[in-house]
Amino acid sequence: MRHAAVAVSTALTLLLAGAASAAELRVGYSSDITTLDPANHRSRVTEGVIHNMYDAVVTRTDDMKVVPEIAESFKQIDATTYEAKIRKGIKFHDGSALTAEDVKFTFDRLTKENAMGGKTSPRKSLVGPVADTIVVDPLTVRFKLGNPWPIFPAYLPFNQVVSKAHVEKVGTDGMATKAMGSGPFKLVEWRRGDSVILERFADYYGGAADIPPAGPARVDRLIFKVIPEPASRVAALMAGEVDLIDELPHHAIKQIEGNPKTRVLKTNGTRSFFIDLNNRKPPFNDARVRQAANHAVNRQLIIDRILNGLAVPLATLISPDSYGYNAALKPYAYDPARAKALLAEAGHPNGLEVTIDVDNAFKDQAEAVAASMSQAGFKASVRLWERTALTDLWKDPEKHDRQMQFRSWGDGALDPVGIFVPVLKSRDRGNFSGYSNAEVDKLLTAADTETDVAKRSKMYQDAQAIIHKETPLIYLWLPQDVYGASKRLKSWQPSPRGIIKLHRAQVEG
Amino acid sequence: MTPVALVERLLQLVPVLLGIAAVVFFMMALTPGDPVELMLGDALATPEQKESLRRDMGLDRPAPERFALFLKNAATGEFGMSFHHRRPVGQVILERVPATVELTLASMLIALVLGIGLGVLAAVKRDSWIDRVATVTSLVGVSMPGFWFGILLILLFAVALGVLPVSGRIGYAGEVPFVTRFLLVDTLIAGRVDSFLDALRHLLLPAVTLGLAMAAFLMRVTRASMLEALAQDYVTFAEAKGISRARVLFRHALKNALIPTVTVAAIETGTLLGGNMIVETVFGWPGLGRLVVEGIFTRNYPLVQACVLLYAVTYVLLNFCADLLYAALNPRVRL
Amino acid sequence: MTAGAVETPRPDAAPEAARARAQSILAANLRDFLANRLAVGSAAVVLLFAAMAVFAPLIAPHDPYASDLFRRLQPPGWMEGGEWAYPLGCDALGRDILSRAIYGARVSMTIGVAVMLVAAVVGMLAGLAAGYRRGMTDVVIARVVDVLLGFPYLILAIGLMAVMGPGLGNIVLALAIKEWVLPCRVVRAETLAAREMDYVEAARALGASQRHIMLREILPNVLSPLVVVSTFRMATIIIMEASLSFLGLGVQPPVPSWGSMVADGRQFLIGAWWVSTFPGVMILLLVLAINLASQGLRDAFDPRLRR
Repeated sequence: MRHAAVAVSTALTLLLAGAASAAELRVGYSSDITTLDPANHRSRVTEGVIHNMYDAVVTRTDDMKVVPEIAESFKQIDATTYEAKIRKGIKFHDGSALTAEDVKFTFDRLTKENAMGGKTSPRKSLVGPVADTIVVDPLTVRFKLGNPWPIFPAYLPFNQVVSKAHVEKVGTDGMATKAMGSGPFKLVEWRRGDSVILERFADYYGGAADIPPAGPARVDRLIFKVIPEPASRVAALMAGEVDLIDELPHHAIKQIEGNPKTRVLKTNGTRSFFIDLNNRKPPFNDARVRQAANHAVNRQLIIDRILNGLAVPLATLISPDSYGYNAALKPYAYDPARAKALLAEAGHPNGLEVTIDVDNAFKDQAEAVAASMSQAGFKASVRLWERTALTDLWKDPEKHDRQMQFRSWGDGALDPVGIFVPVLKSRDRGNFSGYSNAEVDKLLTAADTETDVAKRSKMYQDAQAIIHKETPLIYLWLPQDVYGASKRLKSWQPSPRGIIKLHRAQVEG
Repeated sequence: MTPVALVERLLQLVPVLLGIAAVVFFMMALTPGDPVELMLGDALATPEQKESLRRDMGLDRPAPERFALFLKNAATGEFGMSFHHRRPVGQVILERVPATVELTLASMLIALVLGIGLGVLAAVKRDSWIDRVATVTSLVGVSMPGFWFGILLILLFAVALGVLPVSGRIGYAGEVPFVTRFLLVDTLIAGRVDSFLDALRHLLLPAVTLGLAMAAFLMRVTRASMLEALAQDYVTFAEAKGISRARVLFRHALKNALIPTVTVAAIETGTLLGGNMIVETVFGWPGLGRLVVEGIFTRNYPLVQACVLLYAVTYVLLNFCADLLYAALNPRVRL
Repeated sequence: MTAGAVETPRPDAAPEAARARAQSILAANLRDFLANRLAVGSAAVVLLFAAMAVFAPLIAPHDPYASDLFRRLQPPGWMEGGEWAYPLGCDALGRDILSRAIYGARVSMTIGVAVMLVAAVVGMLAGLAAGYRRGMTDVVIARVVDVLLGFPYLILAIGLMAVMGPGLGNIVLALAIKEWVLPCRVVRAETLAAREMDYVEAARALGASQRHIMLREILPNVLSPLVVVSTFRMATIIIMEASLSFLGLGVQPPVPSWGSMVADGRQFLIGAWWVSTFPGVMILLLVLAINLASQGLRDAFDPRLRR
């Protein structure tokens, strides 16, 4: 009876006050995660949550430098060998010690065929040509590559270390739902489709030594709550139901900034927006028409009006923060007269009708581009497709008659290999424009295995200079990633990686 | 219903389910887009990686062969591996069913209460202004796009007034262990009245959004059957005998009038079940509808196929129940 | 339809009698409908929207496609920052919402009417065939109907749209593929009842062809329930278009449909509420009016509800 009375009064308090506990941090997250197994997905949102439970050999600082995480040191021995010394005393959530054996097991699981319950890890290609992982002593491990792969350190932060004993106990099937890592938070419960509930791991070793402050997490509980609809996500932040939301829509920035309880956080993104031009077919097989198109887009106006000024215009495909960026290149200036002259020169004195293909998410931006082009000699219209269908339609530039495609390509490693090669190398998997230049291909192939950092950077810069002139794409912009946060949330800044790791975050009040 | 008739009825299902299986399989197969490319996204991918994923997903085999395999496995309740979750489809789906069922039942309850209430009122006060107001009220929910109505409710009750939550099934102070995965049941099993109330608060807005959209239909059915019942001889007779009007209405007319409403409600539960993906998205409700729509967009063939079959079986069973219900409630009908 | 009301006609007078009978019932139904002021008012609202759709180019104050990024999310005329030249404000690309809403009536009603007509014609033919010919025809049609009924409507529509891609024609197709099932069921049931009637028997005895009996004798008698069910469904179809727009499977830009306007504008509900509220209210009014009008039709046409 008394029990019930207590319960009822608690219920009343709850009804009146809502459920806020002092050290609980809630994140409104735009997508469902698919698994808790670090080796069994290819999803950035899934990785974001996993990073709070599992640490990796190395990680990145907020300015994207690769630094040791569970490693004490990480260094290159020769062209194909890297060595990591593991920090002493790192514990998994079950209290067992993390050793070189676990690191070896993790990478064997990622790289060996059929190593995961008869299947191969979908992340295998993110580890590159690792041929073998060798335990030198209980706290030293060496990665032996089949051929030189200079971006090995850049890609290492994507893969988190698992416990050998735990995987052997629960199996690959169990790993999907039973997380047990060495990260700052341990799993309480994953409510599928709804939320991932984590709690502070008291024995955490403290995280990367190069990213102060080190130490265990500063909140007791961390909850990732899936709220797929952007309008609802913003509403949840304004209602105080969550403290942090990802993918804050640009137009909501004013409201979030105007609200006394919330604020906006920004960081440089890693996703470049551009328009594929079909280089294989008229009219865009003529470089002058491609240049005209580049001169016809008023990037700054669209950035200012539609993206709230939160983007930088691009002169090349990669981010200004990326390794190998050619800073000498300038974005094509908005110049309608020049665009019209170039079009006339190419035999279209009376304008040129073109269609931009786009998916629903970027309809606005594509329509704005079309409007801009239509004032500069083109007659541009927009055609809407489903994203996946569009990729299929465009995948072979020889075979279709589409003209322009508005799209983006993300590159979390900030190395040209993740964006330049797939989009601009002849016949690579993301090369939808059909661009093909033997000299560029040669440079890109050579850069793949060039171990001299400066020389490799020069190769990419040279390739960019060639491409800038031939302009197979319309470079658009690189938007910032925008987050909404409550003012309770302290000591957290978004990272360009797009990963929400909250071990240093605090909540007040 | 005789056992023979029952078996006959069940046998009729076989071609229907086969037909649905074929439609969903070939619909997904015809949809442009490569599940492997989609899963790999922008990050590095070698051709070998693509091949191994294709093998894992069973996509290295031609469509007719995959269809045969799908049918063979479906017969034993085995639906393969969900492409993106990389777990058995059955598991992935079953985890999401209770949330959807809970929402559906709550919505249907709201629709029934509103529909019957307004329907009886409208019939009794036929052609008066009350009838008109009841009719218009019942139609408001069905006349708005669900996502818009839902967001308006969120902005009003959660953001402006701050009395109800925006999304999810329960607040995090009130978690209880999953037993049945029906939170209204699990909170009571755990003896947590506070959590029960919290779950109820979370359920309210999505259930109202869905329930109001269904209310108009039930209201119409109730009104019509109530009018019919009121015109029957026995009602006139009872009134002539001097039995009070309220008693006549509720003891005699309503009882008969409700038979079609309840039958229709049983069938429409299937419609609600298969039509709540938008409300689930708006309210962050972790149900099946959202899963299957994501499945279509991510070309998760096995997931979509299994979900659609599940919906179909449920629909057929609900119809069957509706028939039984109709017979049970209406002594004049013998199946 | 009640059988008792029909006098036994002389065989050679059968078609005329059937038609006359149908006509007199229709006239009575219409009288009932016109007596229902709410229904008549609603029908007037529907007609008003239809007129708006037809005369959109004459009414709309601006080009619905003309974008001006400097007017992005401009508030309605009476609000601060608004101007009366754009009375309902502007959308995310600085286009006049009033003009887009007026043009949007075209698209939304076109979809509603087109799906309804396709469904009514297909459903009517299938229903007549199934109900009159019975046998294998009936079984085959019944199975197809069962398959479609067991497939959740929105999921089928989303799946088909994913196959075909967004666009007005594709929306009509994706919805009509299942939509015909309802009129089909209604027509089949009515046909089953009608084929036992004297005037049909008489026509058959006279050696009239199957086609003649179905289209000339039975059809006029199943028409009014068909009209009732079809108008009801039009309301649902307009809402379905909005749902598809929400999922990114709507009409092609820059064409405005109310559904896509509400769906695109929903993200601005906090801060720039006018972008989705005005088209949302348009949908609400039209769908409500269609529902009320068709409910009036049903009340008038359904003999069981007759006074």
